[in-house]
Amino acid sequence: MSAARRHDRTSTWDGIRLTARRELVERTRRDRAFLISTLVTLAILFAIIFLPRLFGAGDPKEFSVGLVGGASQPLGQVLTAQGQAIGVRLKLQQPASAADAEAAVRDGKLDLAVLDGRELVAKAEADEQLNVLVQGAARGVRAQQTLERAGVGQGDIQAALAPPPLPVRSLEPVDEDAQSKRRIATVAVFLLYGQLIGYCVAVATGVVEEKATRVVEVLLAAVRPVQLLAGKIIGIGLVGLLQLAIIGVAGLAAATAAGVITLPPDAAATIASVLLWFLLGYGFYSSLFAVAGAIVSRQEEVQNTTTPLNLLLVGSFFVAFSTSLGNTDTTLSKVTSFLPPTAPLVMPLRIAAGDAALWQVAVSLVIMLVSIVAVVILASRLYEGAILRTGARVKLRDAWRGARRQPAAGRA
Amino acid sequence: MLELQGLSRRYGDVVALDDLSFTVRDGQMFGFVGPNGAGKTTTMRIVLGVLEPDRGEVRWRGRPVDAETRRRFGYMPEERGLYPKMRVRDQLEYFARLHGLPTADAERAAGHWIERLGVAERAGDRVEQLSLGNQQRVQLAAALVHDPEVLVLDEPFSGLDPVGVDVLAEVLAGRAAEGIPVIFSSHQLELVERLCEAVAIINHGRLVAAGPVEELRSSGGQRRYQVEVADAGTDWSDGLEGVTVLEKANGRVVLAVDGDEQRVLDAARAAGRVVSFGAVQPTLAELFRQAVQE
Repeated sequence: MSAARRHDRTSTWDGIRLTARRELVERTRRDRAFLISTLVTLAILFAIIFLPRLFGAGDPKEFSVGLVGGASQPLGQVLTAQGQAIGVRLKLQQPASAADAEAAVRDGKLDLAVLDGRELVAKAEADEQLNVLVQGAARGVRAQQTLERAGVGQGDIQAALAPPPLPVRSLEPVDEDAQSKRRIATVAVFLLYGQLIGYCVAVATGVVEEKATRVVEVLLAAVRPVQLLAGKIIGIGLVGLLQLAIIGVAGLAAATAAGVITLPPDAAATIASVLLWFLLGYGFYSSLFAVAGAIVSRQEEVQNTTTPLNLLLVGSFFVAFSTSLGNTDTTLSKVTSFLPPTAPLVMPLRIAAGDAALWQVAVSLVIMLVSIVAVVILASRLYEGAILRTGARVKLRDAWRGARRQPAAGRA
Repeated sequence: MLELQGLSRRYGDVVALDDLSFTVRDGQMFGFVGPNGAGKTTTMRIVLGVLEPDRGEVRWRGRPVDAETRRRFGYMPEERGLYPKMRVRDQLEYFARLHGLPTADAERAAGHWIERLGVAERAGDRVEQLSLGNQQRVQLAAALVHDPEVLVLDEPFSGLDPVGVDVLAEVLAGRAAEGIPVIFSSHQLELVERLCEAVAIINHGRLVAAGPVEELRSSGGQRRYQVEVADAGTDWSDGLEGVTVLEKANGRVVLAVDGDEQRVLDAARAAGRVVSFGAVQPTLAELFRQAVQE
């Protein structure tokens, strides 16, 4: 009795392992689509990382300022110093006359001209940052000159006009990596969404393929429906996980090399968390997509039956994406990071941004795991009830009722 | 011995099988015939465990068939099932392994059947690149690759050219000669008659007749005679007492006769010169038509 049962269990795992292995081999080694989609995703990722640098974003701003007349000259030194302090480079020029300066401004060779220390000339509206900078410098020079005329000593003038900067006391610890974390989180949301929808749809189309080509009948003569379903989901999931890991590691390496982000010390944990939440999201959605595939008989019909699931994923993506743009610590993001359909996209974002408390992650994980078990049980029964019915689309109620009765002989 | 005992199955309100029973002996080529929609495919799916019966069971070697036993059955479904994008050799190895063969055995078996069924030069191609005839050969190889104890084939001959039919018939006969029960359905009744030792005829999910072909043909109360009378046409046989005209063609008549056949011969001689007069057995096709009409 126990020997027979052990034998049966071994063959159950064999069936799952073999079908999973087939998906893995056929989809990676035998199909160029895997390589191509990996490269395309990496290309897009690299474009996001490197293009802004090619177009000069992130470089310090640079302005050309013309100083006309002796009264304007004292501004030069002050401007250069203050510009450096806030990361703006200033190129100073000395046009011969006000007319020359105006011509240069008109031609765009100068961003701003200072006429005799009394008037600023801009082409249209002056750049706000530059304006503030020049106005401040002018104010400082005027104050210095006034103080000098009043006979105040140089030391006092310095103390009055250039006091040491006030120290800043932060109420919460400064996270030096905050910006990097946010960037990683945003990219992670995109990747998770892309992988989830891509590989869940692959499950649905894979199921329909077996049904449409009737190969399912040959397969079910050798394995049980639940083995076939489990093997397919696991195999395709591994392909998705492998691709996500490749993209994640390559992306982080490239972004660090380009200096777009500084690799946070817990980068490995971030990748692990993204992979984990991919698995959880995939575990939740994939079996439902399998049902969407099992209830139809032709590849064209699967678009219709997967639509509600796609919408659910798109909705989750928008919640996560809008969260990633602004404050990640909102009520919406907190609530959705606990709900199974949205949590796989929202929770990893909150984790990456450093907002989620450990207990919150734990609770969300438990909710997720429990609902995955429930969904998989439900979905495998529906799959079993629908997979051999060809022709018209199978109603879910019929699929539920039509699930194959367990073979009594096999259990005896 | 494969025994089907009291199989019943409904699809909603439709009765697909109604208390169907018959037995296929070891080493027997067994033909399974019936009109479209009679329940042949449903029966085969139940034998393979693809479908569960509402009632009844399938027994192999005296024991109810379970999932483990079924992995040693070979099945070729009517609507061919292969992965179009998978390569021939990969596919056959996969099916062999799914049926429980270790890797090395699976590779050897796939190689053997690729060779045996003449698709060796296409072994590395995707199935969708093959002609339909070659796809059918691969399909057959998929049913045979794990060296099954029982072969169940749904319409294996449909769509094959005469050479393909011969190859398939030879392979199946070879399997049967090794003691394997080979059960297949077909609408080509001449072929079934030529190949099969025994048949089952079903209609509307019920068994109409089953047994060795010879027995079925010689059973029945009436004997049949084919008579040809030179230059007398075929109308001479009309109205003879106790005689039913079954067929008239090319100056020959086929008659079912109750009682003494000599008076039929007398009537024929009265009509003209009797060229031939002989007892004939009904063909399977005739039995089939009769069975289905009743």
